[in-house]
Amino acid sequence: MLNINKNLDGEKLMVALEGRLDTVTAPEFETELKDSLDAVTELIMDMKDLEYISSAGLRVLLTAQKSMNQKGTMKLINVNDTVMEIFDVTGFVDILTIE
Amino acid sequence: MATNDTLTVALKGRIDSGNAADIEKEIQAQIDAVDAGSLILDAEELEYISSAGLRVILRLRKKYPDLRVINVNSEVYEIFDMTGFNQMMKVEKAYKVVSVEGCEEIGKGANGTIYRIDKDNVVKVYNNADALEDIEHEREVARLALILGIPTAISYDVVKVGDSYGSVFEFLNARSFAKILADEPEKFEWCAEEYVEMLKKIHGTEVPEGKLPSIKSEFVERAGRLKEHLPAEYSEKLIRLMNDIPEVNRMIHGDYHTKNLELQDDEVLLIDMDTLAVGHPVFELGSIFNAFIGFFEVDTDGIESFQGFSAETGRRLWRRVLELYLGTKDEDAIRDVEDKARIIGYTRLIARSVKRGLNLEGQGKAEYEIWRKNLMELLDRTETLAFDPDQSVNGSDPNELDIEAITENLPKVLEFIDSKLEAVGCPLKTQMQIDVAAEEIFVNIANYAYSPDKGMAKVRVEVGDDPLHVSITFIDHGVPYDPLAKEDPNVNLSAEERQIGGLGIFLVKNTMDDLTYEYINGSNILTLKKNL
Repeated sequence: MLNINKNLDGEKLMVALEGRLDTVTAPEFETELKDSLDAVTELIMDMKDLEYISSAGLRVLLTAQKSMNQKGTMKLINVNDTVMEIFDVTGFVDILTIE
Repeated sequence: MATNDTLTVALKGRIDSGNAADIEKEIQAQIDAVDAGSLILDAEELEYISSAGLRVILRLRKKYPDLRVINVNSEVYEIFDMTGFNQMMKVEKAYKVVSVEGCEEIGKGANGTIYRIDKDNVVKVYNNADALEDIEHEREVARLALILGIPTAISYDVVKVGDSYGSVFEFLNARSFAKILADEPEKFEWCAEEYVEMLKKIHGTEVPEGKLPSIKSEFVERAGRLKEHLPAEYSEKLIRLMNDIPEVNRMIHGDYHTKNLELQDDEVLLIDMDTLAVGHPVFELGSIFNAFIGFFEVDTDGIESFQGFSAETGRRLWRRVLELYLGTKDEDAIRDVEDKARIIGYTRLIARSVKRGLNLEGQGKAEYEIWRKNLMELLDRTETLAFDPDQSVNGSDPNELDIEAITENLPKVLEFIDSKLEAVGCPLKTQMQIDVAAEEIFVNIANYAYSPDKGMAKVRVEVGDDPLHVSITFIDHGVPYDPLAKEDPNVNLSAEERQIGGLGIFLVKNTMDDLTYEYINGSNILTLKKNL
């Protein structure tokens, strides 16, 4: 299960993820994100409560990163160790901005 | 002295000290006249009997130990009961007489016709005039089944109808599953599920020893009857396989087809209990195969007049019942049990034809030939008729999960794997890596293995030593596909240059300690190994 909490402040969108970002939940997240990014120039994802990410989740992050590269910035905050390990192995640490 | 037929003597009116001696002489004269071999006293018109009269019966019994007193009315029966006579000899109560003249006929089966005798009651009149023993047997086993928790209808009285006997049942406003399947084909899946649920309930019921006959001994006898109809090595193998089936004390219905399962309001009821037995569930599956396929292999339209649905529905039902009963869609597993059931089925069909005087013309010949040919083919590839009934009745191997390969089932797969990992104290980080890998493999199977159809996947989790590790095996029967052969993505590219695909397998390769892929006998077998 995945809870997505969005907070739009002007052109800055803060998205907090809670739960699991996997094959089952990723499509929903992708749609959710696509619908909210139009006027956004700064995207921040709070990963504090994200327990799990699989390749399906990584794909959504990659798509979001590509689309933000056109018009602004994207960064991930509060990434925990286990999720960071996945970013490491896949080379995502070099693509994403992680704080 | 030659032994002659049974003599029936009618006892009338009152028998007491005043006339007992005369009556004894009279009976003796009748016995001498025909040189009777056995004796029945018909008490239909007997109104009273005193101890002097009972002593006459005692003396007659010395000469005829199997003496029976029949048609005893309830007042006289009480005398036999109080004096303990009905324990010493067979004393049969008179049955209430019921007429079915003008009654609505509501059903007709192989061994009787059912009439509605009033608003609340029906009577099943048996075709066979000496069905009394069968009726009593059926009442007894139905009572036993009910006590053991199987919902069934019980006859509460036995009556006399003309020259035959009948069982009285409460009138049920019920519909058979055969009728539901014929009238509402969209309820197929529901019917199959309820049908299998009841089947598992029956087979999950342990029967106290000696209460029901063993079905195995019937089949050992049937296999023997096929001796002259099979080449020696096949006949011997069949007899050996039958003998090797373990005796188990599970309940078997013996005639479990869709006309013997009824829906009343919301309750599913099992009827026709006369074939109840104990034994291995494979015998039941054999008779189910016959009811839906075996009987109608030549006469394919026959099922239409018997069950009311088509041969195609019969075949689909048999298949779905096996899947649900065995809890798998695994082709090999289903085929294996189906083979065993068919051997049981054909043995019964051929033995039945032989017993009825083999008709080797027309349909009889065609059936005999196809059943015999199929039986021999099955015997060629079968080495045991038993399977583990607990697998279906009590759930499968706890380290394996058989599940439909659809992405919606991913949470169930991961939950299953996680429960095994938690049991061995796997660190959370490792658990996540294993989950990511498992997700990748399972989703791959769900998306591609059976596309555009759907199929099953098996997931097996094993823990091993030296070093402590866990292996997770995924098995599917879809198109051959080795995910490990996929080229790795270049992880040094920028976001714009990175491709979406290939990432998952790359993750799997880089987080697991060992990966193997094999394609054997139509199965993709992929094993992940992770050291703990």
